[in-house]
Amino acid sequence: MASETRVLFRHVDEPGLASIETYRRLGGYRSLERTLKELEPDELLTTLEESGLRGRGGAGFSMGKKASFLPRGDMDKFLCCNADESEPGTFKDRELMQKNPHQLIEGIAIAAIAAGAGWAFIFIRGEYAEMGDVLDRAVEEAYGAGYLGEGILGSACRVEVVVHRGAGAYICGEETALLDSLEGKRGNPRLKPPFPAIQGLYGGPTLINNVETLSNVPHIVANGADWFKGFGTEQSPGTKVVSVSGCVERPGNYEVELGIPSRELIYELAGGPPGGREVKAWFPGGSSAPVLTAAELDLPYSFEAMADAGSMLGSGAIIVADESVSIPQLALRTARFYHHESCGKCTPCREGTNWTVKMLERVISGEATPMDLDIVASVQDNIIGNCLCVLGDSMAMPVGSMVKKFRDEFEAAIEAGKASAPRPLDESAADTRPVALGVS
Amino acid sequence: MTAGERRRLVGSMRPEDAERVPELHEVDVPDDLRERIQSAMSKYPQLRSAAIPALWAVQRHYGWCTPEGMRQAAAVMGVTPAYLESIATFYDLFRTTPVGHRQVLVCHNISCWMRGADDLLRAFCEAAGADPHAADHGGATSEDGEIFVKGFECLGGCDVAPMASIDERYYGPLSPDDARAAVEQLRSGAEVLPDRALGKRQAAGGPEPEPDPRVAATEAGGSG
Amino acid sequence: MAAREDVTLVVDGVEVTAPEGMMLVDAAKHGDVEIPVFCYEPKLGQPVGACRMCLVEVEGIPKLQTACSTPVRDGMVVYTQTDQVKEAQNAVVEFLLVNHPLDCPVCDKGGECPLQDISMGWGPGRSRMIDPKRHFQKPIPLSPLIKIDRERCILCYRCVRFSQEVAEDEQLQLLERSASSYVGTFDDRPYIAPFHGNIIELCPVGALTSDAYRFRARPWDIEDSGTVCTLCPSQCNIKLTVRNERAERVLARDNSAVDDGWLCDKGRFGYQMIASPDRITEPLVRSGGELHPASWEEALEAAAAGLRAAGARTAGIVGGQSSNEEGYLVQRILRRALGSPHVESRATGGLPASQRAGGQGDGGALRQDLIALSLPELGASVRDLDGAESILVLGTDPIHSMPILDLRIRKVVRRNGARLAVATDHPSALDGGAEETARYEPGFAGGFLAALAGELGADGYERADGELGADAERIAGVLKPGSTVIVCGDFEGPPSSLLACARALRAEEDGAGLIEAPDGANGRGLREVGCLPVAGTGLSSVDQGLDASGIGGGLADGGIEAALLLNVDPVRDFGAALGDSLGNAEFVVAASMFENSSTRHADVVLPAEAYAEKEGTVTHPDGRLQRLRQGIPHPGRVRPMWEVLAELSALLGDETGIDSAPEALAAIADEVPFYAGITPEEIGGLGVRWQDREAASRFPRDETGAAGTHGARPQDVPTRGVGTLSLTSPAAPDDAGLLLGTYRDLWAAEATEKSRALRFLLPRQTLELAPADAERLEVEGGDEVEVRSNGSVVRARAAVRERIRPGSGFLIEGLGDAARALRGELADVVKAEASE
Ligand SMILES: Cc1cc2nc3c(=O)[nH]c(=O)nc-3n(C[C@H](O)[C@H](O)[C@H](O)COP(=O)(O)O)c2cc1C
Ligand code: SF4
Ligand code: FES
Repeated sequence: MASETRVLFRHVDEPGLASIETYRRLGGYRSLERTLKELEPDELLTTLEESGLRGRGGAGFSMGKKASFLPRGDMDKFLCCNADESEPGTFKDRELMQKNPHQLIEGIAIAAIAAGAGWAFIFIRGEYAEMGDVLDRAVEEAYGAGYLGEGILGSACRVEVVVHRGAGAYICGEETALLDSLEGKRGNPRLKPPFPAIQGLYGGPTLINNVETLSNVPHIVANGADWFKGFGTEQSPGTKVVSVSGCVERPGNYEVELGIPSRELIYELAGGPPGGREVKAWFPGGSSAPVLTAAELDLPYSFEAMADAGSMLGSGAIIVADESVSIPQLALRTARFYHHESCGKCTPCREGTNWTVKMLERVISGEATPMDLDIVASVQDNIIGNCLCVLGDSMAMPVGSMVKKFRDEFEAAIEAGKASAPRPLDESAADTRPVALGVS
Repeated sequence: MTAGERRRLVGSMRPEDAERVPELHEVDVPDDLRERIQSAMSKYPQLRSAAIPALWAVQRHYGWCTPEGMRQAAAVMGVTPAYLESIATFYDLFRTTPVGHRQVLVCHNISCWMRGADDLLRAFCEAAGADPHAADHGGATSEDGEIFVKGFECLGGCDVAPMASIDERYYGPLSPDDARAAVEQLRSGAEVLPDRALGKRQAAGGPEPEPDPRVAATEAGGSG
Repeated sequence: MAAREDVTLVVDGVEVTAPEGMMLVDAAKHGDVEIPVFCYEPKLGQPVGACRMCLVEVEGIPKLQTACSTPVRDGMVVYTQTDQVKEAQNAVVEFLLVNHPLDCPVCDKGGECPLQDISMGWGPGRSRMIDPKRHFQKPIPLSPLIKIDRERCILCYRCVRFSQEVAEDEQLQLLERSASSYVGTFDDRPYIAPFHGNIIELCPVGALTSDAYRFRARPWDIEDSGTVCTLCPSQCNIKLTVRNERAERVLARDNSAVDDGWLCDKGRFGYQMIASPDRITEPLVRSGGELHPASWEEALEAAAAGLRAAGARTAGIVGGQSSNEEGYLVQRILRRALGSPHVESRATGGLPASQRAGGQGDGGALRQDLIALSLPELGASVRDLDGAESILVLGTDPIHSMPILDLRIRKVVRRNGARLAVATDHPSALDGGAEETARYEPGFAGGFLAALAGELGADGYERADGELGADAERIAGVLKPGSTVIVCGDFEGPPSSLLACARALRAEEDGAGLIEAPDGANGRGLREVGCLPVAGTGLSSVDQGLDASGIGGGLADGGIEAALLLNVDPVRDFGAALGDSLGNAEFVVAASMFENSSTRHADVVLPAEAYAEKEGTVTHPDGRLQRLRQGIPHPGRVRPMWEVLAELSALLGDETGIDSAPEALAAIADEVPFYAGITPEEIGGLGVRWQDREAASRFPRDETGAAGTHGARPQDVPTRGVGTLSLTSPAAPDDAGLLLGTYRDLWAAEATEKSRALRFLLPRQTLELAPADAERLEVEGGDEVEVRSNGSVVRARAAVRERIRPGSGFLIEGLGDAARALRGELADVVKAEASE
């Protein structure tokens, strides 16, 4: 029987863990103290880099390496904690922030010191109002205890932390869109290069990391890189909080060592599909990841194994669809999401997602021909690689994979015709809004 | 628009109708709103970062981002109202049309959908008396103008799917009966679905397992 | 700016050299490779990479790259024709057409539409799209001048970026998100801003169209003709769209040395005045109190007779729109044929009252100052702004006096991080971008400059104390010696203190300098061809004549009997006083496009040419000679004015021998040493600065006299108000008055009145005052008030403005009322019962 390996989730339901007293009683903020007393920023960076900690927000890039890209020397540098968590199926950061905010704040303070950033912003999605309040309280406590602000614990270090609430836009999770949004603009992704590490927030060097990534930092500082590498696989060291949802008995967050068989996560921890049904398809890394099939359930759950299987670990969110789920309907839900969330800045994403939704609606309402499936497929190909950021790809890859792996179901849907036709889902509401313009 | 209407519209346009940066003394901004915006402005290295906080302040004050409210915020920030409207219309949580002051966001994304989100949304609409189609396409307010119901993209509550965010708090898993109960409670002002509040939920993996030896080993001098 | 060195790259097998860092799209052109673009427009600033039309393959990079945002590196190998690239281009075009209506046959853009061309050249050529496209109300007015068709919009953001990052009016925005995004304004208000017409030219589709041009012509039955707009000193280079011998449209003719390819709306839509039904198109002669059509012979005979009679008691006033040739001939008629020294072309910047002593004053010194101000090494070019580390805007608001400079300055501040200081009496549109602003009393530029000169350590000047000193110190703190450009306007008082500042800021040879925005569009040219009472052609020494107010006085007391007026509306340009005094004249000849205060008392009226009908030259405020080229034929019996003036001169006994516009220019070149040898061919399409020509060495620098050598004549330094100058200074004197200033609003112009499209912009007379004064005087914004001072009364609507200096009030000049007479006066403000 598989079991969790709780590091970030240690004491997760300890009463009052969100308060600074409890957190400290359980050993909290010692890593920050140690950082200030014993460690030079460069030592810190090496430790983080050696630990092999990979970003938990989606890209899986080495955290230490990214931090080391920031130019040295004194200039205004920034740290942004990406707490926008909007990838469908992902809710790990939510529980980490709600239940153990100080673990994150300690990680932020240490990472900021390592990167030489005097300002840190926690960009939390506006929907997480409840967790925003928890963070506000925790940040206040941390200031009160001298862990944040001017001259931390009597040292020369300064880290100002601001909790910034978003207002509802998935794209703001994309790091450069996050920066624009934080600068008070529409959340449009920026061209890269320049990369945020060189020219980010307000034009200054900026380190951007996910909540879970940063929550790992105090543990690595406390116990060392080797200790951290003692968990997980060589290329995916550490534990991972995995959000499992959809058709499973016990949806939720499970912290496991990277590399455990996916089947154990889905069946043993999350209890598998209800009513003894079989898994039909599953997203291994949020809805942006190409779907895998039941045949792929025994793959180890790691960055590399998922990549080899043509998908990705992404944000570490498994969404399970069992036999009872219609794949064309699933494809439409997926496409609809990206269509709604596209920032609209670049053509292939804006028009491609919009066109895909229209075609899938026809597929489902039976107003399509098998030839339209080829168009759906080729439109996905036309999106992939041609967009400004990867939001477009994030629809094209899963939708493309569904059409490829379940084409018969799509053809069947077309056959079945209008019988199963749902209410039309086009965004007509939004489209007609401006019609009122200027008329009186 | 007919040619005639168009001509009339053009004829009615005056240079002073263009919305430039409002002169602060020409707009009277409610004190609390002004204070909220100014304190937000002081929190960031650059003033415009306060755009979203300012719009939140406007929405909290007026219930939605009214044109007048956006003008007031623009005057305090020294930007054009157009700039703020452009931000307001980009983000899903800002409303630029009047809505009910109690808000129910029902997740209709994959995980919730697979667990009955459509029925849940319909149940909320029927109970509140809001048009389900409209609710799923930008939102709808109940006839009595009280409750705003909106089908929303993934709220990050898939572990309690199907779920909803009611007045900025998460609840789930919800049945159509829960929806009816919630609407009742919203109307009566009673606490909403106390036993469905996500805040009270324990980790899915159940009570703390025996710590992994590698973790236990560090507990002595380790960190949270 | 440091020149970047060239690198070599290979595009589709062709070796191309380009400066390092240049964007790939532009570099590819060097190898005759065209890469299609939509959103890329360098004029708008950094590339945004939004449309994805420009994707190309760069060796070593797996993903396709956007050529618009990829700087070239040495050894780079690029492919724009591979299958992968073609597929991407097809894909993008197909995506763009998903929501684009194919209504090309009824679209104004048809035939000159980038989307059409690129679909042809780079598109898949077939459509797989059968789903409904998005629908918008179409087309609806975005402003009285522009219609927007949102269905055609391809969301390239050009227009929105212009509003946000070039004009910075931020009225035009993108609203909503995703495929529902659309371009709009706050609360559906009209987009009304001085430069907004540029978005028509920026739009790569038919989404934004000119209301004045809609359905007027099709690209295949028009011809282009390049000339220069003379509606203001910006002298932007323009292309006239001509159809059936009519100017139907004005487009920018990008000249980075002048306009960066932008136009203000006056220049873009003002062409309508050319075909105005009010045009005077035939000579008129007054008989029996009425003006009657006459033959040219009759008219010129009559004109000659009248002027001959007055002889040396004739005054000539040349309007700012006149060409160098016209100005030259008028001053020549006065000085040579009539022996009169009284030639004026400037409303302000004349002799300081202190020296005017009945019109006769120390003109020699003023001439020396003017020479010193025009010293080649002291003059900055418009391009010099791009390289300047700091800019001082002094005593003028470019948005009104020289609009295109406003955009230029914004660009330099936003993109090059130049530091801006603004010191004006009237609030400036540039205040927002300025690091420091100082607001001095109306008309006190000279005093402020003296204080600034002291602050900058100019010899002969002392540091002022009190708030004036503090303000000067703040401003000086922003300015970097050796790399500062001063942008100033014609202002009251002698320019010596300005000179002192300019010199003090010119550390060494390079960089720093001065750009004067004159009141008149060709103010500098007219000054250099001799249209000043204190200086003749080439700023040569002359018997001093009367300046504008002197002429007014002369007309009143009979010292002046006749007036020759060219392209001038005395009341609008010089104020009611001069306009009224013309009533006393024995004889008036007015050359004008329209009936106005110049024709009211005229005995002979000569129909004047519009700029689009002229051959000739003008001189840009930075010394660039530019060519006016005739784009359309003359209406009615209008004739070239140079020809008419040459004939008049001959009739008055001075045979000029000038038989063509180029010959007129040649005559100028003979008399203006620093224009020596200049020809229309040399000037060409983009113009040439005389300072850059060899002949510049013949500039009369040795005659700069006192001002030229040390620039200090402390007795010129006004002392009024010293110590009370600051935005922060307490509200005005408790006595009821306001110290009045005036400014010439961009729209207070004949072009606004006579162009149907612009008429709605004609300003109402407005009294701008500070909140404190509004309270003190118990007026509120919108109130109708009367502004009075010794006899002159102006009715205005009150407008309360935070950025007005307490104690001052401002009225608009050029509206034909008595506003100008009130400048510098302490005036009473009383509420008037509102008129409907
Ligand atoms: C469309 C899009 C959405 C994203 N959303 C999130 C998000 O919600 N949270 C997050 O941490 N990273 C998100 N990312 C990844 C971020 O761009 C970035 O890689 C990450 O925050 C870096 O932090 P990490 O290295 O710690 O993972 C998203 C990326 C894309 C392209
Ligand atoms: S209106 Fe024209 S310029 Fe503006 S975004 Fe659309 S296509 Fe681009
Ligand atoms: S031109 Fe390069 S992306 Fe638009």
